[in-house]
Amino acid sequence: MFKIDIFTKEEFKDSHGERVLSDILSIGIRDVKKVDYFPFYIIYGDINKSEAKTIASELLSDKITEGFKISSGAEKKSKSSIIEVLYKKGVTDTVSESVIKAIKDLGITNDVKVKTGHKYYLHGNVSQDVLNKIAVKLLANILVQEYKIK
Amino acid sequence: MKKVKVLILRSAGTNCDYETKTAFEMCSAVAEQVHINSLIENKDKIFEYDILAFPGGFSYGDDIASGKVLANEIKNKLGDKIKKFSLSGKPVIGICNGFQVLVKMGLLPEPKLFKQISTLSYNNSNKFECRWIYLKTEKKIKNESNCIWTKNLPDIITLPVAHAEGKFIPLNFKLLEKLNKNNQIVFRYSTRDGMVPKYPLAPNGSVEQIAGICNTKGNVFGLMPHPERYMFALQHPAREGFAGKYGYGKAIFQNAVDFVK
Repeated sequence: MFKIDIFTKEEFKDSHGERVLSDILSIGIRDVKKVDYFPFYIIYGDINKSEAKTIASELLSDKITEGFKISSGAEKKSKSSIIEVLYKKGVTDTVSESVIKAIKDLGITNDVKVKTGHKYYLHGNVSQDVLNKIAVKLLANILVQEYKIK
Repeated sequence: MKKVKVLILRSAGTNCDYETKTAFEMCSAVAEQVHINSLIENKDKIFEYDILAFPGGFSYGDDIASGKVLANEIKNKLGDKIKKFSLSGKPVIGICNGFQVLVKMGLLPEPKLFKQISTLSYNNSNKFECRWIYLKTEKKIKNESNCIWTKNLPDIITLPVAHAEGKFIPLNFKLLEKLNKNNQIVFRYSTRDGMVPKYPLAPNGSVEQIAGICNTKGNVFGLMPHPERYMFALQHPAREGFAGKYGYGKAIFQNAVDFVK
């Protein structure tokens, strides 16, 4: 299993993160100072690290504005609060279907399964209650998505 | 008189192929919508056509990033044919999602290089931006550029935009300088008077207000605005026309058809 996190390089505007911060402010929460947005992809199947790197660099990240991090085990603890949003089991993940097709187009023919998700790093002194409020009100549609606070 | 044949490449999610076909037909060309799977099965079919068009739309649902999945598919399965077609000097156009595909597979800014060295990223607003905007086709640039698609357009034109990922970003300043020097930046967002615009007339935050570029030879052209949505004066909210009853889009498609003839 490889988890590939995509991030906006520092010199470029993280429009999605800024939009989420503005949404957080609009519901009256002032504790969050900055939001960084990372879409992520979890790839299961018989692929090696070099193939995961090809998938990350050729397909999942933009060569100009984005970078990527690949992990295959537990992730390092972050100083910021993190909210991760994923589809619940049984909900069709249409983006993952496109990713699987595109991995085959890259010439990587082994069978893979893909899960997609969204990760938000919230900088600031934010309580667990506030994080729950942000997740439920803004980031996750809890009918079809689940969220984890880290 | 020679009938000009246009291949309009479509895939899952493409939604401007009918309008693009109609636009070319209005310019007396014969246009055919061809699904990418059909072209992959018979790759040399591409050389039966005189013009190649990548229409707007939401190929593969804009999954991962707009145009990314289709660009990856084309590059890996049709790359050498597309490159050969482009280097032959035949006209190629990418509109909106089609422009994103051309840039992300690296056919623009330079098909010889065929490598991604620029991108179209998320609008500064992080929203889908949909409105009529003005474009500057600076006289100097227009007359000196090799672009076959933008010949004889007025200094300022208007076209509609509709996109969420239209912010053009070159790899570095050196590339930007090169694009400027070679007069490859054929359209820039502007005010009605040709001044540098602010949002919302600058819809996405593009570097130097870039809205459309071509390759050095001038046959491969990509733009975020939709010329196929302004073929008739009546399509404009103020019913403004160019050359009588037509919109500016008509002049763009006609240029390519006339070039082939």
